Amino acid sequence: MILKRTSFAAALAVLILGTAAALNYAQGLDLIGADAAKRTMQVMIGLILAAYSNLMPKDVGRWRASAVAVARAQSARRVGGWSMTLAGLAYAGLWAFAPLAFADVAAMAVVASAMLITMGYGGWTLLACRSKQTTAS
Amino acid sequence: MFKALADPTRRQVLQLLRQGPKSAGELAEHFPVSKPTMSAHFAVLREAGLVDSAKQGKTIMYRLKMSVLEEALMEFSELLGLNLAQRAGRTSGHVTLRKASTK
Repeated sequence: MILKRTSFAAALAVLILGTAAALNYAQGLDLIGADAAKRTMQVMIGLILAAYSNLMPKDVGRWRASAVAVARAQSARRVGGWSMTLAGLAYAGLWAFAPLAFADVAAMAVVASAMLITMGYGGWTLLACRSKQTTAS
Repeated sequence: MFKALADPTRRQVLQLLRQGPKSAGELAEHFPVSKPTMSAHFAVLREAGLVDSAKQGKTIMYRLKMSVLEEALMEFSELLGLNLAQRAGRTSGHVTLRKASTK
């Protein structure tokens, strides 16, 4: 499992670096402009973010002793998965179609908001679980 | 995966599991079908990798194990009211269910 994940991540890294090199080469030959190269890379990053986040809720982890804890962990993963996947798609969409100056700011804002939602909800879930444990003991 | 999502009962099981993990008995309570049929549905969902199960004492607990895309596909088919199982049932779906329920 770990080997599969590592090799997938390594293949992805090779793909990103290969695409960047190819775009740079094409730019050097005046086949594409700097804007197109930048947009292509950013769209690719957005799609990779979406693809990774898509699998977040599927990575269920171990079973916990309490059903409430399992339910909370599941909902945290679902919220994180959905928000980051949508953010990845929005990031790719913005870089593909929006004016560059706008895409630069808006794409970052979208991903930052999704990260805040993911971490905020995850943190709140964790705290809720801990406070319940404390109350129970 | 598409076959698993095509059946309305299985989709309803997945909807119930969204609220949190549930035992096989708790899930079966919501459906007017026999235990072997329900077990067959669980087996299809497990094989498709949409749920995760664990034995806790005498009960089997189930929890959701769906990617965002799979969940979106489920919502989409629910929205369109697709009941592909009835069509697929005439061909391969019922064969799978029968096989699973006789195990």
